[in-house]
Amino acid sequence: MSALAISQRPAISRRIARLPGWTVLVVWAAAVLLPLYILVISCFKTTAEIYDNRLGLPKSFAFDNFVNAWTRAHLGQNFVNSLIVTGGAVVLTIVVSAMAAYPLSRYRLGWNGLMLGLFLAGIMLPIRLASVELFTLMRNLDLLDSLTGLILVYSAIRIPFAVFIFANFMRVLPSELDEAARMDGAGEVRILFQIILPMVKPAVSIVAIFTAIAVWNDFFFPLIFIFDDRYKTVPLAISVFVGQFRTDWGLVFASLAISMAPILIMYCLLARQIREGVGAGGGMK
Amino acid sequence: MSNLRRTSSLRRTQQRMAVLFILPALAVYALFVLYPLAMSLWGSFFIWKGLRMVEFAGLSNFSRLFIFPSGARLYGALWHNTAWFFGIMVFQNGIGLLFAWLLFLRDRGAAFFQSVFFFPAVLSPVIVGALWRLLLAPGGVVEWALNGLGLHQGSLTVLGNSHTALTMLIAVDAWNWMGLPVLIYTAGLRQISGQIFEAAKLDGAGNARMLFSIALPLLMPAIGTLTTLSFINTFNQFDIVYVMQGVQGNPSYSTDTLVTYFYRLAFGAEGAVGITDIGLALALGTMLFLILSIGTLMMLRFFDRRTVQL
Repeated sequence: MSALAISQRPAISRRIARLPGWTVLVVWAAAVLLPLYILVISCFKTTAEIYDNRLGLPKSFAFDNFVNAWTRAHLGQNFVNSLIVTGGAVVLTIVVSAMAAYPLSRYRLGWNGLMLGLFLAGIMLPIRLASVELFTLMRNLDLLDSLTGLILVYSAIRIPFAVFIFANFMRVLPSELDEAARMDGAGEVRILFQIILPMVKPAVSIVAIFTAIAVWNDFFFPLIFIFDDRYKTVPLAISVFVGQFRTDWGLVFASLAISMAPILIMYCLLARQIREGVGAGGGMK
Repeated sequence: MSNLRRTSSLRRTQQRMAVLFILPALAVYALFVLYPLAMSLWGSFFIWKGLRMVEFAGLSNFSRLFIFPSGARLYGALWHNTAWFFGIMVFQNGIGLLFAWLLFLRDRGAAFFQSVFFFPAVLSPVIVGALWRLLLAPGGVVEWALNGLGLHQGSLTVLGNSHTALTMLIAVDAWNWMGLPVLIYTAGLRQISGQIFEAAKLDGAGNARMLFSIALPLLMPAIGTLTTLSFINTFNQFDIVYVMQGVQGNPSYSTDTLVTYFYRLAFGAEGAVGITDIGLALALGTMLFLILSIGTLMMLRFFDRRTVQL
């Protein structure tokens, strides 16, 4: 990249030549940040104040809207549900996908390619179109209105991507690694979880990050599988709020802020890993 | 000889272990993805009563899709999805390439701008849709700003107007995902050897010339990835429409998409009485499945052929 910075022109005129480009970048950054800024300041305002004072800071940082959203609108329960579903799906996806990827990438079975192909096909499959049959299946298994049901469906959807990532990372580890452990009498389960898995930590974090984002944000499957308010997840609850509390803008803004908080925190901590993960292969759907 | 026997016994153990290790993932994946998908494709050839398959119907569900009253919905949704795809190709992937190129030309600030641009992409489309619904609502902050700047007068009704609503949703979707092309293109640009750009510069090529004659052909794999991803995403579009315009794709079906139409047929929100029509829904699903798989395969092949090897 620094190669491009080498130029014969003097520094000042080079800076001026770059001004339009910087302007374009700053304008888009503002287009991204301004709506989010308005979202944050509106959380602390009453509806009347939102109309009176559009861009200014709120008169006081009162937490009424947050308290109302959390308790009166029951967002607290939705939040806990989302945490359970996201956590459950991440753990289940990582464990079963790592187990499947280990023999597929490191044993010579004769059918590795075929099985990997079957898993990889799932990355492209439009699962939403199967939702009618999936609904019938979930009803027959008594998994409607159930967080366990959501965990199973999300894991099933994320397994293909996870197997793909784990297999790619495990394939390049030296074969002496498990051979030596096998000589020492270690079982296959121990080899996988105590030797191989710690060596592919970047794969674990890629799978965990992108599974967590996809599951936390999903709205389609709770919409068709969850009817009881007690089991609703955050995005489903938000979609109801937007219509239900249409006149109470402060409350809606506050519930949006609450629902994006975990992702925001994760993003600030892991921005570099996320950038690299996406740049490397478009890990998101 | 004993070595050979040990190897073959290891092979047998490995075959057994492999099956045990693969089984949990395969079972969950087969039960909740492969089985329902196969059954949906199969079921589209049957007549349905409620959630029950009654008798084989051949292609009759498919022919019903194209005639009144579903034909109008189908063509409408198909057109909206197509417009959405081309809109995203221009406004998201086209402008995203410009942003990536500008960041690539600069020594500093790339990580910061990339992080800011990508942030909306980690948010739920539900949050993004709800946020923009509030901002674009009559009496919302966008109306206030446009009135204040003298660019618009009175109440802003872009979401309630059937001529502008779809464009607004495409713009919100582009805002949501702009970071994706920026990240993929900058990663692609950094893989191109700096010597190529240096040589072009010595030959007197300007920035625009370098972008179109050198970077663009070498970025074919990245362009292919993005085009395919955008195709899959736009033809699965549901969340933003649902949150911003409701499941009918208001106003007057002007933002209806194939998946919102599918949802109404399958889960009973289509028509005045809201009766499900599972046969029709599954036929629509099968058609969408064919569009997606054939489209994706054609795109992958198209871009594979155009990949330039150095």
